Amino acid sequence: MPARNHAQWTATPPLKGDEWIDSRIYSDQAVFDDELERIFKKVWVPVCHESELSKPYDFRTFSIANEPILVTRGPDNQVRAFLNVCPHRGMLIERRPSGSFLEGQPSGNPKRITCMFHAWQFDLKGNCVYVAREKEGYQDRLCKEDVGLRRLRCEVKFGGFVWVTLDDNPAVGLEDWAGKPFECLRKTLEAEPMEVFHYHKAIIETNYKLWHDTNSEFYHDFMHYHNRVTGFNDAYFARKNESFEHGHVVVGTFEVNYQNYEGFESRAGLSFPHLPPNQWYMIDLFPGFNFNLRGSALRCDIVTPLGPNKVMIEFRGLGLKRDTPEERQTRINHHNSIWGPFGRNLHEDLIGVTGQGTTMRPGTEPRRVLHGRQENQTIHDENGMRHYYDEWGRWMNRLPNDPEQPWAARAEAQPAVAAAE
Amino acid sequence: MAMNGVNAADAVRDTIYRATMYLDAQKWEDWLGLCDESFHYAIKSFSPEINYDMIYLQGSRKEMLTMMRLLPKHNTDHSPLSRHTSVYTVDVAPDGKTASAVSSFVVYQNMLDGVNAHIDAGESRLFLVGKYIDKLTIEDGKARFIAREVRLENRRLDKGSHWPI
Repeated sequence: MPARNHAQWTATPPLKGDEWIDSRIYSDQAVFDDELERIFKKVWVPVCHESELSKPYDFRTFSIANEPILVTRGPDNQVRAFLNVCPHRGMLIERRPSGSFLEGQPSGNPKRITCMFHAWQFDLKGNCVYVAREKEGYQDRLCKEDVGLRRLRCEVKFGGFVWVTLDDNPAVGLEDWAGKPFECLRKTLEAEPMEVFHYHKAIIETNYKLWHDTNSEFYHDFMHYHNRVTGFNDAYFARKNESFEHGHVVVGTFEVNYQNYEGFESRAGLSFPHLPPNQWYMIDLFPGFNFNLRGSALRCDIVTPLGPNKVMIEFRGLGLKRDTPEERQTRINHHNSIWGPFGRNLHEDLIGVTGQGTTMRPGTEPRRVLHGRQENQTIHDENGMRHYYDEWGRWMNRLPNDPEQPWAARAEAQPAVAAAE
Repeated sequence: MAMNGVNAADAVRDTIYRATMYLDAQKWEDWLGLCDESFHYAIKSFSPEINYDMIYLQGSRKEMLTMMRLLPKHNTDHSPLSRHTSVYTVDVAPDGKTASAVSSFVVYQNMLDGVNAHIDAGESRLFLVGKYIDKLTIEDGKARFIAREVRLENRRLDKGSHWPI
């Protein structure tokens, strides 16, 4: 067909209803606001790795769905999460990204979480232990026991990642949420302690789901010279995309031929425990978290949606805590030559999703985005994205290909699609 | 013959500034022409988030050359980079044969591709801030890099880059 006029361009594609979506789900403010309330305030979020809080009194700060979060390791070695908000007058308690409460602060004592504004202090379990001039101001009307921090559900799991949810009563526990997709790597990731050696962030003008889409589909490997020369063979094209409950997807492994890229080397010598050499697994968790193991280095992407057309992506690289300095250097090189901010692939991926963000800015005409490749659920099949948007539609009560319609309308409008599922 | 300290320091500054111009012009082989065979390049940054001194990229002269020659096979952001370098200190060894230097730099990205080239092209944005920590050898009046550590203040790098800084 030659280039199309407007009616042809905006016509429903000749695909089943779950094989394309409406770009308004990437660009509408109302959809975005709904996502924070209905999804991000309900799911388990991997905020960091326990090695970032290696000693008692260490802390890290984050945000989930605009809510500031404080994660600490207590003197009892337990990792806990709190809302990073002072119960007095709403001050952000800890402003730094990381540090230790072992040191005293200008307004507070060592081993205390102190709000600098009025010197209220909390212990590492979130109990309020000091209110300045408490009796003088509150008499017997309010006491320390009334003003503890807001604690959040927090678990360390799946290789030492720290998971937090804003929901006191999540629909499922963390094991039920992500245990099955992690099964392919659980033995590997839990064999021995890991350590983060890489961190950087990107703030990109695109929707967070477009980043997750890129992690969920490998058809875009045509964009990566590195992946073409190290990957494209029969075993690569046989890799399976396996869908799991709750919208998660795992991309199966194969042996990557790193030495086919000039200047690169096999990673066999530093394979993670219990893995054959040069394997490549990918775990994509709904709604936007990715664990990507290429033989000798683990990468983790965490998205923080900032707007319908803006996302922060935090990139971490991990090795084994017991690495010798030489082994660590090699792992770092393996990780960063592809995935670092100056690496071969990540720059290309980010250019790709930035381009999508440009065409799907708020106010642009709704477009049809195709997710219709069917290749027996192998590597270039887009079943991973279809599975994701099926879950997204349920959480949002919106049809991905017509977000003004409730999810319930799907079965009536598209019986053939429902049957195909 | 070893140079006197003033001349040696001038030679070091000249090499650092020529390197800036070659890098801006994307004349990668000319830049590596200023580097000794033993040259080692690294981009580093300390992350308070993970309390770790990170290496974002590193390689020998040969590895950097290989990387540059493969660039045309990769998709990349076309927005050129402009480096503003100020040499702060040059310390020449007593024998005049080696020197170390610390320079401050900022890198501007002169938008070409941009997010939306129609809007962004032609605009310059601050991209990176940091220091060059260089070691050089001095021979026959010329200074050549033995090692360059690019010490970034940034940990937010957005789209990143395929190019050395």
